[in-house]
Amino acid sequence: MSRTEDRLSRWAVTAPPTLFLLAFFLVPALIVVLASFQYPGEFGGLAPLADPGDGSEHGLTLENYRFYFSDFLFTEILLRSFLVAAASTLICLVLAYPVAWLIARSPKQHRDLLVLLVILPFASNFLIRVYAWMIILGPQAGLAQAVNGLLGAFGLAPVSLLFSPFAVLVGMVYVHLPFMILPLYTNLEKHDPVLLDAAQDLGANAWQRFWRVTWPLSLPGVFSGSALVFIPVLGMFAIPDILGGTRDMLIGNLIKDQFLGVRDWPFGATLSIVLTLCVLGLAGLAAWAGKGGRHG
Amino acid sequence: MLRLLALVLALALPAQAATLYLYNWNNYISDRTIARFEARCACRVVQDYYSDNEEMLAKLAAGASGYDLIVPTGNAVEALLRSKQLRPLDKARLPHFGNLKAEFLNGFFDPGNRYSVPYAYTVTLLGYNMEKLQALGLPADTWALVFEPRYLAKLKGRVTVLDSQRELMAAALRYLGHSANDSDEKHWKAARDLILRAKPYWAAFNASSYIKELTVGNIWVAHGYSNDMFQARADAAAAGRPFRIGYAIPREGAVLALDSLVLHNTGRQPDLAHRFMDFMLEGENSAELSNLIGSGNPNRAAMAYIRPEIADNPAVFPDGANMGRLEMLRDLDRRQRRVLNRIWTEIKLR
Repeated sequence: MSRTEDRLSRWAVTAPPTLFLLAFFLVPALIVVLASFQYPGEFGGLAPLADPGDGSEHGLTLENYRFYFSDFLFTEILLRSFLVAAASTLICLVLAYPVAWLIARSPKQHRDLLVLLVILPFASNFLIRVYAWMIILGPQAGLAQAVNGLLGAFGLAPVSLLFSPFAVLVGMVYVHLPFMILPLYTNLEKHDPVLLDAAQDLGANAWQRFWRVTWPLSLPGVFSGSALVFIPVLGMFAIPDILGGTRDMLIGNLIKDQFLGVRDWPFGATLSIVLTLCVLGLAGLAAWAGKGGRHG
Repeated sequence: MLRLLALVLALALPAQAATLYLYNWNNYISDRTIARFEARCACRVVQDYYSDNEEMLAKLAAGASGYDLIVPTGNAVEALLRSKQLRPLDKARLPHFGNLKAEFLNGFFDPGNRYSVPYAYTVTLLGYNMEKLQALGLPADTWALVFEPRYLAKLKGRVTVLDSQRELMAAALRYLGHSANDSDEKHWKAARDLILRAKPYWAAFNASSYIKELTVGNIWVAHGYSNDMFQARADAAAAGRPFRIGYAIPREGAVLALDSLVLHNTGRQPDLAHRFMDFMLEGENSAELSNLIGSGNPNRAAMAYIRPEIADNPAVFPDGANMGRLEMLRDLDRRQRRVLNRIWTEIKLR
């Protein structure tokens, strides 16, 4: 009797999140997997699975994956996207850590206000903020003029800040910085200052106190912040579209093109699957490395 | 309480009376035209917008429905037609159909115009900063301006091209002496090489902000649509810039995009939709769009109502010989699309 009740209550607790994941993650993911094995429809969408009876293509095929692997081109774009995502994450981390630390160490009554200021940019539309960077980085703006004035003084040719990989990186870092600051702050805020005092009493200098106490304790925040930056940057297409130049196509742009540009949904699905597998592989690798590190 | 009920009914009833759902390009009809039609028919017009044919096709493929009228470009009309999404026209209900110019009828996508009523067109051409080109001594009416390094050397970082596979390939193919619809892989590869040679001189592939960049003076030559160049020219003049924006059809030929009104078969108001089509065929109503956005107009009766600075612009209303060098893009089949897709990815990556 009590065992049945037990099972029932356990089911009541776990069912909603399970159902949620089923409905909003697993089912869509399976649809994408299926689409990646279908033929493209002649006018967009997907060719039918069942024979329509007019001799047109239908059913399942490996053609999309074959097309992906027929040319290193697509993998090259994927690798470049990982590079941009890694660079954005690293820059965000370096910029966000001191900010998060300062907020965590500031007087308690100010912290909420400071956190609010970090979130404040979200109050305006993301695209508007990216468009604002077009003006800031544009050739008429002070920044470009100062940089090019300096280059000119050394006899170097002027450069364009806008429409460049630099602009894409700036946009990526700017948009995703809060996602790094917030988890770092929530982590750092919980650190007990007594630990640092103890370290100091034991003769640790400022650097040692950071590297041997604060940093290891903050690793969970670093990991969640990095994931929150790395993954969205990897799929981002709007920023390269707006700020990028002639060589800044990323995997997100390529996937978007398949659906909204060239009517090739199955190949778009294939690219998404390859991307997802790479991310999962990377996450698995990180988890494995983290475990190994602890044991070693 | 009763009075409140009456008010609610009064507000709700006309909304229920008749609503025409129009799936249209952004800013592709004058508000005044809509208001006049609503007054004439005692109905409401509700618009949804798209910014790209492919976007519109993708949304319909994903199940969007209920649109009475759509305004697709020729190749998209063909795609909709062949996937059996269109309802045939009842010409008896379009007494003003005869206003259309003959050269815009019987397009490849709909011989005999059984499904489509030409609405407006744009030409894909080059917009340019007139003062800069003059100072640099560069010609304005040739694709060489965006493809030839000897010209581009003077324009480095000041050129944008459309972020569109078909449009950019069409320009390169025309420059190489081929049809914009050429699908020979050898010619595509030659076009790719031409593009890759020119690419280091370009600032960006740009489909969204070249109007602004031209107006501000950051960009001196932009590959884009005639409507957008009209906008850039007007904006630059309104802002009192020390330069003017011009636009011209390259002499090697260019792409003409004719948009037509079609009836989607999920629409619930085919009668009202026919009335709207005929209303838009009246010269005065049709002219309003050309006056608003500088679009080309396939309607003979509209010409008298179009402002002369627009009606006399040879980049929008070319004479016979230039008209003959304009081509409408046809749809590629899915194998050709993949070949082009790979070439395009290569163009973007290198």
